[in-house]
Amino acid sequence: MILTVAALLVIGAVVFTLFVRQRDLPAPEPVSPVEHLEERKARIYDGLRDLTFEFRVGKLSEADYQRTKAELQAELKRLEEEIQAVLEAEVGRKAIPAPPRADIPATEESFRCLSCGAIFDRPMKFCGECGQPMRRGEG
Amino acid sequence: MENLGALAIVLAFTLAVYSVAASLAGKWKGRPYLVISAERAVYAIWFLLSFASALLVYALLTDDFRLAYVAGHSNRDLPILYKFAAWWGGQEGSLLFWSWILASYAAVVVYTNRRRFRDMMPYVTATLMVTMAFFLLLIGFVVSPFKVLAVGREVIAAPDGRGLNPLLQYWAMALHPPALYLGFVGFVVPYAFAMGSLITRQPGDAWIHTTRRWTLVTWGFQSAGILLGAGWAYAVLGWGGYWGWDPVENASLLPWLTATAFLHSVMMQEKKGMMKVWNMVLVSATFILCIFGTFITRSGLISSVHSFAQSPIANYFVVFLALLIAGTTWLILSRLDYLKSESQLESVLSRESSFLFNNLILVASCFAVLWGTMFPVISEAFTGEQITVGPPFFNRVNIPIGLFLLFLTGVGPLIAWRRSSLESLRRAFLWPVVGGLATAAVLLAAGVRHFYALMCFSLCTFVAWTIVAEFYRGARAIRNRMGLNWARAVVELTHRNTRRYGGYVVHMGIVFMFIGFAGAAFNRDTTVEVKIGDSIRLGAYELKIAKLDEGRNPNYSWHHAAVEVYREGRKLDTLHPERRFYFASEQTTSEVAIRRQLNHDLYLNFAGISDETQNAVIQVYIFPLVSWIWIGSAVLFFGTILCLIPSKVKLQYARTEVVGVARQQAPVRP
Repeated sequence: MILTVAALLVIGAVVFTLFVRQRDLPAPEPVSPVEHLEERKARIYDGLRDLTFEFRVGKLSEADYQRTKAELQAELKRLEEEIQAVLEAEVGRKAIPAPPRADIPATEESFRCLSCGAIFDRPMKFCGECGQPMRRGEG
Repeated sequence: MENLGALAIVLAFTLAVYSVAASLAGKWKGRPYLVISAERAVYAIWFLLSFASALLVYALLTDDFRLAYVAGHSNRDLPILYKFAAWWGGQEGSLLFWSWILASYAAVVVYTNRRRFRDMMPYVTATLMVTMAFFLLLIGFVVSPFKVLAVGREVIAAPDGRGLNPLLQYWAMALHPPALYLGFVGFVVPYAFAMGSLITRQPGDAWIHTTRRWTLVTWGFQSAGILLGAGWAYAVLGWGGYWGWDPVENASLLPWLTATAFLHSVMMQEKKGMMKVWNMVLVSATFILCIFGTFITRSGLISSVHSFAQSPIANYFVVFLALLIAGTTWLILSRLDYLKSESQLESVLSRESSFLFNNLILVASCFAVLWGTMFPVISEAFTGEQITVGPPFFNRVNIPIGLFLLFLTGVGPLIAWRRSSLESLRRAFLWPVVGGLATAAVLLAAGVRHFYALMCFSLCTFVAWTIVAEFYRGARAIRNRMGLNWARAVVELTHRNTRRYGGYVVHMGIVFMFIGFAGAAFNRDTTVEVKIGDSIRLGAYELKIAKLDEGRNPNYSWHHAAVEVYREGRKLDTLHPERRFYFASEQTTSEVAIRRQLNHDLYLNFAGISDETQNAVIQVYIFPLVSWIWIGSAVLFFGTILCLIPSKVKLQYARTEVVGVARQQAPVRP
């Protein structure tokens, strides 16, 4: 009985470990050359949200708020240019304009941030002023 | 049956070694089959160790005294709960328990990342399995839990076991080792991801995002484990203390200090890409200190009330630690270019700099505790004589450090990220500082003269004020915008940023605990020989000895006292301190009687029977504010759970949208 169990343990462990089928291999991950840059962008949006909140609750003066916000926006702009440059180098073509988002209707309301009221020329998913989501019902 | 258990462990060890080799070979040679096979081995190891653990637990529950471990740590009359807890009550069983927890964590890591981080995962798996292989080497070939008792070549069974150490027969001690191990072992995961990201030079901070939750859960378990141990010490050891700076206690505190520093500084890396080298060092130091702590507890290197007997595994730990430290140091130094910060500290008056101070102080405390803990070994190496460092040294160093950390806990929330102007700081600090000073003034007027207690209570007021102000200001802003009532506004506020506000709740728990610590400055006690009818006076209490008796059961013999508690002539309670002698282990324990209140505990210990007079010796203590330590522990744990809840505002954003500049801005209303 013990020998049987021992044999089953050994054989089971070896078979399970060594017999890997083709379909057990994971599909290759899509590799984005700009993933780490996108992470930095997320960080800056997070910083914009924190900044707006801290100004709202009185931890920052107006001058500090405007100065820091301008710095974050400048950083975002630089990052976006870097992302575009990497994508251009990747595909070897001219800059691709941001595609219109089909799920956001192209009305005046879509271009206004519900959190801070800033208005943009094109539909945005996140506000470049306060960092909040701009879709209706969010933020 | 013991042969099956031993086979399972040896087979698991073989698979761990295979997994390391297959992970690395599969990665270096570009053979994904080998990488997947290595991950399969992780699952197989978990199954084998679960099987081995089940066999050991079965042996404990069925009193199989052929096994040396069962005979050494259990007995027939032990309650079922403690027979199960004997799994981790002794060295061999606790190392098997350690290994099983590690295998469980490794299986979860491999499964949850089976489609992610494919570049890094072979190195993560290899790091986990190297650690796994080390512990399996110990329990497979050096200190096996399945060793049998034998005379010559014949296996024998002891008629009964020696029983579990009666000091461990307490509910908190049934939970303390599992909680602590879940913390200790868990830190191998962030470490493995850190090494994986270093080796592959991962762009970005994916390893930090992935392991942040692991780190928080692990830290939560570490905290729970340490606090359960403190609760046990208070309720069981009979002297009313909850922390004695014992080497094994310190061994659990060391990685907690560096883990706390890591949890704070990781926010800096997530927000600003700063302190990358520091975070690598902290997560590595935490893991190495976990192994070091296990080494101190298991090896008997330093005398401790906790540690096990001198053990043959000490040298194995020394070699493993040396290789770990050397390998990690080389890897970090060779990748310094990859760990360059993306931004700099912009202002001393910023939350970043308060985090930096917080980190420096925590590491300084860690170093001081480590120095004091290792001093006996160091002094023996140089002078031939072990010089023990006791609580006076640790208290003298760590009380000021702790108070400064408490101060920083209040400062952090008051200042903004990046920079704060002096004007906004003046506004933010004014009322909390006034509150702290007012507390000091009131206490001074009431006659409190203990300097550290005064500082502590003042700082507790300061910090509590800042935390409450944070919730108040945030909830007020949400109320104004959304029209919610205060309770819903607080919930909405917390849900929008659970990391921040969960963290504030954790800090409030720390404040409560410091209130409890400060109460120790006002402890009172007396020790009296008594007979039936005698009275004891301490503070406002009068205690009358109503009954003294003795008896025995199959497990132990006992002396018991019934003590009536009076204050201002009114009877409040009857307490029952007891002293026991356990037959199997020949050990004496105290069953203290505690009357717990928010402002103080009344604590009675039946210390023994006087040799000369045969009278009972009763120790009476009054411990002011000690309940706040346990209340703070619960709040800390609740805050940790809050931090783990996903925030309402998602951090996802468009990957292809260009950041726009507003055509028209609306003013942001404060």
